[in-house]
Amino acid sequence: MINRILALLIRYKNISFGSFPRLLSIFYWPTVQILFWGYFTNFFMSNESFGIWSALNIILSAVVLWDVLFRGQLGLTMSFFEELWSRNLPNLFITPLKDIEMVYGLILISLLRTLIGITPAVFFANYFFDFHLFELGLYLIFLFLNLIIFGWSIGFIVSGLVLRYGQAFEELAWAIIFIILPFSCVYYPLDSLPNIVQDIALFLPTVHIFETMRLILIENKIVLHNVLIIIFLNLLYLILSILFFLRMIFVARKRGLLFNQGE
Amino acid sequence: MPKTSIRTKNLSKTYDNKTVVSNVSINLPYGGIFGVLGKNGAGKTTFLAMLMGLITPSEGEIFIFDKSLKLYKYEILKNINFQSPYVDLPKKITVMQNLIFYARLYDVKNTKKKIFELSEDLFIKDFLDNTYGTLSSGQKTRVNLCKALLNDPKLLLLDEPTASLDVSTSEFIRKYIRNFQKKNNSTILITSHNLEEIEKLCSHIILLEKGKIKFDGKKNELFKQNKSSSLKDIFLKDDK
Repeated sequence: MINRILALLIRYKNISFGSFPRLLSIFYWPTVQILFWGYFTNFFMSNESFGIWSALNIILSAVVLWDVLFRGQLGLTMSFFEELWSRNLPNLFITPLKDIEMVYGLILISLLRTLIGITPAVFFANYFFDFHLFELGLYLIFLFLNLIIFGWSIGFIVSGLVLRYGQAFEELAWAIIFIILPFSCVYYPLDSLPNIVQDIALFLPTVHIFETMRLILIENKIVLHNVLIIIFLNLLYLILSILFFLRMIFVARKRGLLFNQGE
Repeated sequence: MPKTSIRTKNLSKTYDNKTVVSNVSINLPYGGIFGVLGKNGAGKTTFLAMLMGLITPSEGEIFIFDKSLKLYKYEILKNINFQSPYVDLPKKITVMQNLIFYARLYDVKNTKKKIFELSEDLFIKDFLDNTYGTLSSGQKTRVNLCKALLNDPKLLLLDEPTASLDVSTSEFIRKYIRNFQKKNNSTILITSHNLEEIEKLCSHIILLEKGKIKFDGKKNELFKQNKSSSLKDIFLKDDK
């Protein structure tokens, strides 16, 4: 009996610790949780002047917008993974479909999935909590688009990594968004983070997006400088991520990986 | 009509210093059924994948219908298709949805008419609305063959088309392939471990051994050269 239990233990250990992304997801989660709730609590403790409804409105807006990023990334990666899981890549890549056309297709399906996923959530929040995401006005479209674009950038990187390095990297599809969550200042402002972390976080468009969201909701104003940074970072990351994804398809062809992918 | 269907010049593929296909040069005329034979690891699938642009060769050139695959890839791919039991279609959507998707990718005109015609010929009409994942191996093979014929390919590549199928389904597939070739005067390249199948279908055989061409010519010449009357004998002799 001991031998059989030991066999199971070794087997599960090999599966769980067998790849870096899986290992990362095991030890990263507790740290992320502590960091996130720590910064979150600090911010609201030091801003007691906030009315409960204002605070709730900010939190719900952040939850919905964060979900745009999550759905955007997941919509793209899951659509691509479906092809991998069903061992369909060779069928796909022997058609006249061009690699860049695949990029467009993934972007469009991600947009569709995100809209379908987010719309009911917004209406439920509106109905039950008197939540007014639309107070963000036309800026809502700007924030939505930029979050989904950043989601696509992450999606292309993850898809490229899975294509090149195999299914061990699939774990990243779920984890990567939460890896950047504490540094994205979704529920608290940038100055809640330690100085050194702030310098790194500034490279994330999400930081500027959520700072902009809070400025609109609390002070009803927008800073042009922030808007320009958001657009610049997002375009830069989107272009780089698409180039990375296309490069990984090229490498997969060179290494014969398109034939060997699947469940 | 192009003079050749497939022409390769010193085609090689190497992975991390391991050569899988080495210096393969072939010249297949347009029209006919050709067999690629070889033991496991001989390089058959890699060779086929290179012909479809799925694997980039380390060295050498490929010409399909007299045109360089490197330069005219997407134009050539419109006229090629492929079927393998190791390549599937998405399991969660219906057979019809899968076929419509591929018909669109190949720009097939009168999509539904084409699918209905093929599905009738291949006896898959009854489960067009079933999800692909619920089908048996035999049904999946016929659906995959239907996918492979949607664009009336001038070059059809079949990787072990009857692997793990029962005798009657295998015979049906073989008959269908033969008729399709005759009707369309297309070129069909088959890899198979089923030596009898290759013997029945192909007039021309390419024998690969450790990535190199061991024989490339008419089936009868191969028999003559080896003083044998069947491929099975040749392979068994080789093992001794």
